[in-house]
Amino acid sequence: MRKTFPERTALITGMLLAVLGSLLPCLWFVLTSLKSQIQVEAIPPHWWPDGSLAFYRSALIDHQLLNYVWNSAIVASSTTAIALVIATPAAYALARLRLTGTPWILGGLLCVAMFPHIVIAGPVWQILERLGGLNTHWGLVLPYVALTLPLAVWILATFFKELPPELEEAARIDGCTAWQALYKVILPLAAPGLFTAAILTFIYAWNEFFFALLILTDPAQQTLPVGIALFQGEFTMPWGEIAAASVIATTPLIIVVLLCQRGIISGLSAGAVKE
Amino acid sequence: MTTPTSDQTTGWIMVLPALACVAVFSLYPAMDSFVLSLYRLYVTLPGLEASFIGFGNYEQLFQDPVAHQAFLTTLGFVLLSTTFEILLGTGIALVIHERFKGRGWVRGAVLIPWAIPTVVASQMWRFLANDQYGAINFVLFGDRVNAYIPWLADPWTAFGVIVMVDVWKTSSFAGLLVLAGLQVIPDGIYDAARIDGATAWQRFWHITLPLLKPALLAALLFRTIDAFRVFDLVFVMTQGGPGDATQVIQFYGYKTLFTEGRVGYGTTISVTVFVATLLLSLLYLLTVGSKLLERERT
Amino acid sequence: MLLLTFVSAIHESSAGQTRNANTVPRVLRFVTWKADQPAVWDKAIQRFEHAYPHIRVEREIAPHSSTAYHDLLTQKLKNRDDSFDLFLMDVTWPAEFAAAGWALPLDDYFPRNAREKFLPATIAASMYARRIYGVPSRIDSGMLYYRKDLLEKYGFSPPATWHDLVHQARTILEGEHPTHPLLRGYSGQFQQYEGLVCDMLEFVGSHNGSLLTEDGTRSNLAAPESMQAVRFVREQIVQRIATAAVLTYQEPESLAVFVQGKAVFHRNWPYAWGLANDPRHSKIVGAVGVTTLPHFAHGSSVSALGGWLYGISAYSHHPDDAWTFIAFMTSPAMQKHFAVHASLAPARIALYADPEVLRVNPQYTALFPVFQTSRPRPRTPVYPIISHILQRYFSRVLAFPETDIVEEAQEADRRINWFLELAAGTRF
Repeated sequence: MRKTFPERTALITGMLLAVLGSLLPCLWFVLTSLKSQIQVEAIPPHWWPDGSLAFYRSALIDHQLLNYVWNSAIVASSTTAIALVIATPAAYALARLRLTGTPWILGGLLCVAMFPHIVIAGPVWQILERLGGLNTHWGLVLPYVALTLPLAVWILATFFKELPPELEEAARIDGCTAWQALYKVILPLAAPGLFTAAILTFIYAWNEFFFALLILTDPAQQTLPVGIALFQGEFTMPWGEIAAASVIATTPLIIVVLLCQRGIISGLSAGAVKE
Repeated sequence: MTTPTSDQTTGWIMVLPALACVAVFSLYPAMDSFVLSLYRLYVTLPGLEASFIGFGNYEQLFQDPVAHQAFLTTLGFVLLSTTFEILLGTGIALVIHERFKGRGWVRGAVLIPWAIPTVVASQMWRFLANDQYGAINFVLFGDRVNAYIPWLADPWTAFGVIVMVDVWKTSSFAGLLVLAGLQVIPDGIYDAARIDGATAWQRFWHITLPLLKPALLAALLFRTIDAFRVFDLVFVMTQGGPGDATQVIQFYGYKTLFTEGRVGYGTTISVTVFVATLLLSLLYLLTVGSKLLERERT
Repeated sequence: MLLLTFVSAIHESSAGQTRNANTVPRVLRFVTWKADQPAVWDKAIQRFEHAYPHIRVEREIAPHSSTAYHDLLTQKLKNRDDSFDLFLMDVTWPAEFAAAGWALPLDDYFPRNAREKFLPATIAASMYARRIYGVPSRIDSGMLYYRKDLLEKYGFSPPATWHDLVHQARTILEGEHPTHPLLRGYSGQFQQYEGLVCDMLEFVGSHNGSLLTEDGTRSNLAAPESMQAVRFVREQIVQRIATAAVLTYQEPESLAVFVQGKAVFHRNWPYAWGLANDPRHSKIVGAVGVTTLPHFAHGSSVSALGGWLYGISAYSHHPDDAWTFIAFMTSPAMQKHFAVHASLAPARIALYADPEVLRVNPQYTALFPVFQTSRPRPRTPVYPIISHILQRYFSRVLAFPETDIVEEAQEADRRINWFLELAAGTRF
């Protein structure tokens, strides 16, 4: 369909504004991470950094950033794996098995997903204290799984509903149990849905701060957001190091987002509109 | 299905782990919080034995000027940020809905603010808003360093910065929800309108917007609920200051509960936030949602 | 010296005993924060383990921010966690920890005559209801740093009163602004956080005001002396010689401004001395002076007390071992170790006459009077609550120029009194 000239102009302007608005602030921070301390504080600013990697060295070595990266990676990937293992059968049952009370369960999950974190923080802390889960990775993974399950179940259930029922029905007539049907027929078809749910869960766990702050107090166990929020310099604001740490914390996510934007977009809108 | 009764059993077994997990780590804690909110409980004053005081903490909350301010600040934050996010998000959605070369990259680029951790975004904007060498001041004032504004030092601008950063970070998320709504509108409707000579604005106002209402409502709900939970931004950027101007309710609850050790009162705050979120969501559903239903019926 | 001989006696005997003992060392768990100079701490603990081979110290590292650390530690103690034996306490915590029954009273370990070797302010801060709960690891006090070169250029000597300070700052700014537009008169800690209470306590106290009444039972913010000092800070410091940006500063931000040569006067703790004279970080090496904080015409200088105390958990299963460790770490030799290698100001009086300590920290001679008269923040089990009310009050009157100080002070008084009564058991 042809667009008129004003429509084209509006579209291009809007696109430029959206892209530049999103990227320029980030780009400035990336440039900052490559500067020297003097350049960071210079006015007028030095637009082009002299390419010093000193801040990266300091962030990685003096502030042991890799340790935080490692903690985040463990927590986020375990959360993702466990959440998916639990959410997949649940979503399948809710989407396909005509369970009595399905709308109540789905509605209830959505309701739980909107609990303010502060309302569950204190008791969760106490449960973990009793289980010995404070300052451990699994102690953070457990609440994360509970917090990400509702979204994962919704995404997967929406996805499962859209799969053609014929294949599965054929399998069931051949004598497959519900588990076998899920495992042999649905899962191979549902890979894109699983992938989407996995990415969103991973991003959530990678970025979460409130619970991580409460549960992980030992710097050796802390995840990246806590490390970056409590980043302290002894003598001055370590903007360069914070910028370098931020770049390291964010790069994996940005790559994932650029590669998988299609899956993320379909996943995020699942349940929001299609139900 | 062949054996519906056994499917019911299998189904429940499949759902059970998820429900159990949510029950232990969300439902039970929420109820526990409610029970605690009925007690007078100070961690540091064991001499004052924990005593059941019914809704005494709630009464106290109604008279607490700090809580009032925190609620108003949060409400202001929620209203302002969601409004801007829905407006900008709709704009973003309209743009990334169009077909053009490199749309995938544009979509990816727009999603980046949403994907980066809030803590990182907060540190980044704290640096951009710096009073001596922040990029924002340079863009606005160039070399006139004496005109530079310490954005986070003034109660109003500090609040504005918090809202702005949230809008920057989550408009694209709102945009995605709106986009999902745009995608279900069949192209045929637009073609007919074009033939009738409707301008782009008329098409948007009379066709797109009415059909978009469910998506907008969903975006509004999601953003409202999430904006009520704002914490990371405030923790990193202002610690609630200056003068409590950016002290949102979740931060106040955190301080009361975990720093002051006022368990009963702290949980009262958190339960109240919970109820407020619930009420606001219901309000949206009833006002915007019911109109929506009426329109669909006619 | 009694304590010293006592410590070295144990030291020798235990070192002798354990050399042939085959027992597995007992583990002592110590909650501490991430140190600025980790190597100095590692060395100190190594020396302890060498001297007492039957005890092994395991550290549990918490965030350095006092508030974050407080939240962590109190959460653990609230749950009667017995997995650790001792901890570092900020000087504002003993009342809270004592009232809650979390900290062990140390009166038997730490008798009166041993306490006399420490700076009195640090001992006062360790006491609650006539019992002692902490042993000072060092002392921190607020002090005034200034630009020696600028003051000399304009013929000033370090200001004795706050009005002098404002006058000097304005004269210097007037003269310097044409060539140095970014120079400010004053840089301190005025963000809404714990540090704000320290900075304001110094202004209020040096105007003969106070945060609480002398007996500590009532809030004293609406007293004219207290309010006038606050008004002075709002009108003369924040709005006049500093910029509003100080409302966003904690220690690192305010020190950064000073070491970049952008402030004439700077309020900070003793640690700033070393950094301001370190050419890697500072543009003003050699141009820094330090002195007692100014006072108002009718008052005398007051400096907020900071610093850290060792305490023993009430739930510890090895309080005796914990005490052995504390006695070692607070011995003259070890306080000297920290003073010489990490510039942490000793809590022991005798070290201020020690030539080696003074060679590394020549500024101590001038600052010793400050250390002797530091003033603790309110000592009450509900201090975290009181502190939040104070932070809100000070931050509001400084950040909203139109607020009525009288009204705000009365409101803060009312709320503080409510909690003080609750803590004293006179409410309900």
